[in-house]
This record gives sequence, C-alpha cells and structure tokens, in this order.
Amino acid sequence: MDALATSALRLGDDSLVLGQRLSEWCGHAPALEIDLSLANCALDLIGQATHFLGLAGELEGKVRDADTLAYRRDVMDFTNCLLVEQQNGDFAHTIARQFLFSNYQELLFAGLTASKHARFAEIAAKAVKEVAYHAKLASDWVVRLGDGTDESRTRMIAALDWMWRFSDELFVMDEVDAALGIDKAALRPAWDRRIDAALAEAALERPSPRRGVMGGRAGHHSEQLGHLLSEMQFLQRSYPGATW
Amino acid sequence: MSALHKPPASRRSAMAHAGETSVVKIRAILADIPDPEIPAVSVLDLGIVREVTDDRVVITPTYTGCPATLYIEQAIRRALDANGFMHVRIETALSPPWSTDWISDEGREKLRAYGIAPPPKGAAAASLKNDQRAQCPRCGSLNTVEVSRFGSTPCKALWRCNACVEPFDRFKCH
Amino acid sequence: MYTTDLTGKKQAETVAEDPKKLAAFEARVANDEFIEPKDWMPEAYRKTLIRQISQHAHSEIVGMLPEGNWITRAPNLRRKAILIAKVQDEGGHGLYLYSAAETLGISRDEMTEALHAGKAKYSTIFNYPTLTWADIGAIGWLVDGAAIMNQVPLQRTSYGPYARAMVRICKEESFHQRQGYEIMMAMMAGTPDQQRMAQDAMNRWWWPALMMFGPPDDRSPNTEQSLRWRIKRETNDELRQKFVDITTPQAEAIGLKVPDPALKWNAKRGSYDFGEVDWEEFYAVVRGEGPVAKERMQARVNAWEDGAWVRDAARAHAEKRASAKVAAE
Repeated sequence: MDALATSALRLGDDSLVLGQRLSEWCGHAPALEIDLSLANCALDLIGQATHFLGLAGELEGKVRDADTLAYRRDVMDFTNCLLVEQQNGDFAHTIARQFLFSNYQELLFAGLTASKHARFAEIAAKAVKEVAYHAKLASDWVVRLGDGTDESRTRMIAALDWMWRFSDELFVMDEVDAALGIDKAALRPAWDRRIDAALAEAALERPSPRRGVMGGRAGHHSEQLGHLLSEMQFLQRSYPGATW
Repeated sequence: MSALHKPPASRRSAMAHAGETSVVKIRAILADIPDPEIPAVSVLDLGIVREVTDDRVVITPTYTGCPATLYIEQAIRRALDANGFMHVRIETALSPPWSTDWISDEGREKLRAYGIAPPPKGAAAASLKNDQRAQCPRCGSLNTVEVSRFGSTPCKALWRCNACVEPFDRFKCH
Repeated sequence: MYTTDLTGKKQAETVAEDPKKLAAFEARVANDEFIEPKDWMPEAYRKTLIRQISQHAHSEIVGMLPEGNWITRAPNLRRKAILIAKVQDEGGHGLYLYSAAETLGISRDEMTEALHAGKAKYSTIFNYPTLTWADIGAIGWLVDGAAIMNQVPLQRTSYGPYARAMVRICKEESFHQRQGYEIMMAMMAGTPDQQRMAQDAMNRWWWPALMMFGPPDDRSPNTEQSLRWRIKRETNDELRQKFVDITTPQAEAIGLKVPDPALKWNAKRGSYDFGEVDWEEFYAVVRGEGPVAKERMQARVNAWEDGAWVRDAARAHAEKRASAKVAAE
C-alpha cells in the first residue's frame, strides 16, 4: 500500500474505532442529553470513516471498498492510534479520551483542508466542522467534571491520568505523514495550548510527563482492539460473502 | 407494497428535452423531492443540490454520517428516471462543504410553518459560539431556552418556549 | 414507538369538575379544536394525557435498548450509521415527548422515577429480545410500522403539543420503517442463512407487533372516553386490522410467511381474516413478565444510577458558575 493510501487508512481507522467505541454507550449514558450527544459524535465519526476508508480503497487500487477495509482486516492491519481503542470506562474516561483526541483531530483536519491532495482536503473540510463540535463538547465536560463535585474531580483526574500516555503517539511523524504533507509534530504546541486552557478552567493539573505508549500505526495494538474487532466484524466473519 | 414503494410515474421520452428547458424541468422535478425525514422541505430548499445541467445533477451531503443523504440520492435517481431523464448523472461533491446558510429563504419559511425553528442566517461560521435565542415557531416569542443541544437528528436541537410552553426543534447552525 | 391502553383499568374520576367549564371543554373537543397547555382542562383529561404521553416517551427510551444491542455488530458501515441515527432519533423523540408531557405539569424526573419504580408502563414490545441482525429489520418494519399506525391518528389528537409532535415524529418513523423493510428485503434476497434469520425474526415479532395495538375493544375500558376526548381516534381493533391488511402483502412480496395459519383474504370484507392474539401472553407481558423485562429495566436503572455522579457534577458546576456570576455583579 502506498503512503497516501496508508494515510487515508489511518484517518479512517481512527474515526472508525472511536466511533465504534462511542456507539457502545447508546442507551446507557448518564442522561438522555448525553446519550444523544455521544450517538451524534459516533455517527459523525462513522461517516468520516466511510469517506476516508473509501478513499484508501481507491488509492490502493480499487479492489477493496470501505466495508472490506473495515470488516475484513485483522488487528495487525489496523492503523489507528492506541488512544481511540481504549475502553469507555466510566464517563470521565470516555470524556478524557474524546478531549485528547478531538482536539488533535480538529487541528489535523484544519491543517488538511489546505492539503494539495484535493480528496483529503475536501473530506477534512467537511469533517472539521463536526469535529470542532466534538472538541467543544469534550472540553466542556472536562471543565464540568473537573470543577463539579469531589467525586467527579477525582474521577476526571484518574481518567486523564489513564489516557495521557497515549497522547504522544498522535504527534509522531513518519514518511507516510510526510507524503501527505502534514506536519503532525507541528500541531503539538497548539494542542498543548488547548488542553492547558481547558485544564486551567477546570482547575486540573496536567498529568505528569511519562513515556508514551505507541505502536498503533504499525499494527501493534493494545489487547482490547481484538475484542472490539471480533464484535464489530462478527457478521462478516460468520457469513462471508453475504450482502446485507 | 403500497406505502413503501411507489410505482414510477408515466415515462416520457428524454429526447424532447434539450438545454435550458431540461434544466428547468429537472429543477422542477427536484423541487418535488422531499427530505426523507423532514418532508416539509425539498432537496432544493435544503441547498443539497449544488448544480443542475442538462446531463448532471450535483448534490452535497449535509452531515458526513447523515443516513438521509443516501436515500436522497436514490429518490433523485428514481424521479429522474420516471420522468425520462435516465441519461442525467448524479454526482456527489463534498467541497465546498454544505452549511445551513444554503437553506433557501423559502425553505426556512417552510421549516417554521412545519414547527421547526430555522437556523439563523450568516451565522454558520460562528455556530459553536452562537448563543442566539431561537424564535418559537408557534407563537414567535424569543423567550426560549435550549433543552438539549442534540435532538432526534444530527441537524436539530430541542428548545422550549417559555411564553407558550411549546417544546420545539431548532435546525442547528452548521 | 407507542402502545395503547396498557393499564386496562378505568381511571378513577375523583375531581368534581365545574359543569359549565366541562361542557365548554367537551364542546371544543367535539368541534376538533386543539386544547393548549394554558387552557382549562378537566383533571381526568390531564391525567390520561400525562399517562399516555409519558408511556410513549418511556417506550422510546426503553426502545433504544433492543436496537442498541446491535449497533456494535451492524454488518456494514452504512447499516451501522443508519442504526445509530435511528436510535438517536428514538432518544430525541423520547426527550421531545417528555417535554410535551411537562407542559401538563409533571417533571421529567418524576416520570423517570415512576418508570424505574415499575409504576409507569412502556410498550410491551421492547421486552422481547433481539437475537439476530434480522430482528433489527423486523423491528423497523413491523414495530415501527405498528407504531406509525397508532400514531398517525394522533396527529389530530385534541392536545395541541402532542398532536404537533406526532406530525414530525411520524415522518421520522416512516423513514425508519422503510429502512427496516429494506433490511428484510436484502436478507430475503440473500443466502439461505440470511433467509432463515429473516423468517425466524418474522415468526417471533409478528404477534408481539399485533399486541402493540392494545387489548381487544371489548376489553379496553378507556377507549370510549379517550375517543370522545379525541385522545384516541380509532379503536384498537380497527388499527390492528389495518396493520394486518397493509403488512401481509409486504411480507409476501419478499417471500416471508406470516406465522398465522388462520390468515386468509376475505374478499367480502376487503380485509384479511386473522387468528386470535394470545391475550394471556399479552397480559403477562403487560404485568412485566416479558422475556427480557427485567433486563431492560435493569439496564435503565443501572444507566441512571451509574450516571448519578455525572448529573450531580453538572448541577454543582452550574451552581458554582451562577454564584460566581452573581458575586461578580
């Protein structure tokens, strides 16, 4: 697979896996309004994944379509970052994951809208408006939970602490990203400013620095991804070749 | 089958249509295709149709994950075929992205009459910070409050009027 | 989604109403005028409406569970997006209906509490499990189909906010029904495994769908008053017949067999004759003895209790903000 196709695959996998995770909340969220907001984010992400995986298939040579890529690959061929596959945990964990990721994704898509690769630019331009909403939603919840009750504060601190080690991976650059022409490492200062601003408003401290856990882009995932895929791909695996 | 699949209308020859008249006729066909979830407005009212020529119709999705988009394309195909425009292609363009500013004035009025507060115009760019009060589509009061930022579809939020106590949907800025 | 007359008990009318006001009210309703939240209304009307609208809202919320069960396993990206959007739709309808019920002077918290305490009813259909992907098709096609049949007459119900809500909700439900039928159609055009799943889902959902119209008219004591008050506009049996007449040819068109040996076209009536619903099962399910009734309620209660700290935090934060604003002024 060439570098551009891999870029599209990474973007699609990030959205797909996070969308799949968020959709697990459906019907079980702490309040009806929250249920609707999480479902809406999941829907946006699945929509984006469909576009990016479709593009990956085209760039690869028009053999595999978006569904084939989503449903017929195994763990080692998934290229999403480790952050998005982390389990939902309690609502604070879901929010911490969304907060770190959506702020990154918004900056990334905003950058991509100016890409010389028109197909990437147009999907990003469409998606950035949706992702800005996700980032705002997650940041607002970080503030509410951080500056809410003692319990919510404790949970928010624990959740940020849990997710923090997966944030470095978001900004790692390699030759695939270079081919797309986006400098992910350069997004970091703007991301730091956004994260710090929300944490300050929530009167929360930035988790202490630690060694980042990585490997997602190379197909080296956490133990949870296999379970996520076996659930998501169950029908396609059990009934190969069937159309639904 | 009744409710689910309408038989195609009488087929006419596409040969008679040419140039300008075709475009006018195609636009008239599109003006009769309702949004599948908010049938009070047509796909033209919503600004989903980006371009019409005598051999192609270019449409754009509202939200990337909105399932209505898929059905709209099918509905347009069926309507074009049924009216003899089998040769007209349907293309999808993502860029520039759709915004609620593309909803026509007529479309806004239809939404209001249907009980959905239309999105404010010119505010799409500022949608995240936009805290403009929605106007109650029923009594016109601006004494209204947002109940939930997210409603039954991605495009709507739930509001309530403090004057007449009516709950109502508001088409969100996007 | 919605069901009629679950209680089967006649509401006790304890409030003595002003006969003049009552007569004027009855005349307005008989004249097909809308009653609005700030208008005078008899207490029994208010109570009946609260019961009906909140039942309807609860049904939407509990109804998110059987379909939510398949979101993570939807067979392709398109179906997944459609299903997420559908479940979001139901949540949104629930929220809208709770707001409509609030116009009658009850709070959402009170309604939620009643549901969790087992005091409020919701549509019995959701106490059946979703076992295969075909169940998602069957729910969309049959359950939403029955719901629409129940709801269309309610677009002309006498209570304004409810009637207006129904207009928009019915349109969205019709969209769902189409999607559900499409799932069944795709499966019936598919492999023998898929056809088997589709027929099995048909066999399991057909009768519960017929039960959605409520008990037979001669056992539905609320019907008469509800019809007079335009809270209801057609009887349970009339709606059930209509559903069978419309749905049977749809089933046959894609090769599904209706699981009723007594089903037969009656040319004289211009309708299908069909077998007797198992009313013992219906009343058992209404009593809360449906196959997954306990699971459904436990899921709702768990979500509510596990989420209490989130709602508390949001409230505490809003109060802090409000008092900080006051202090700054």
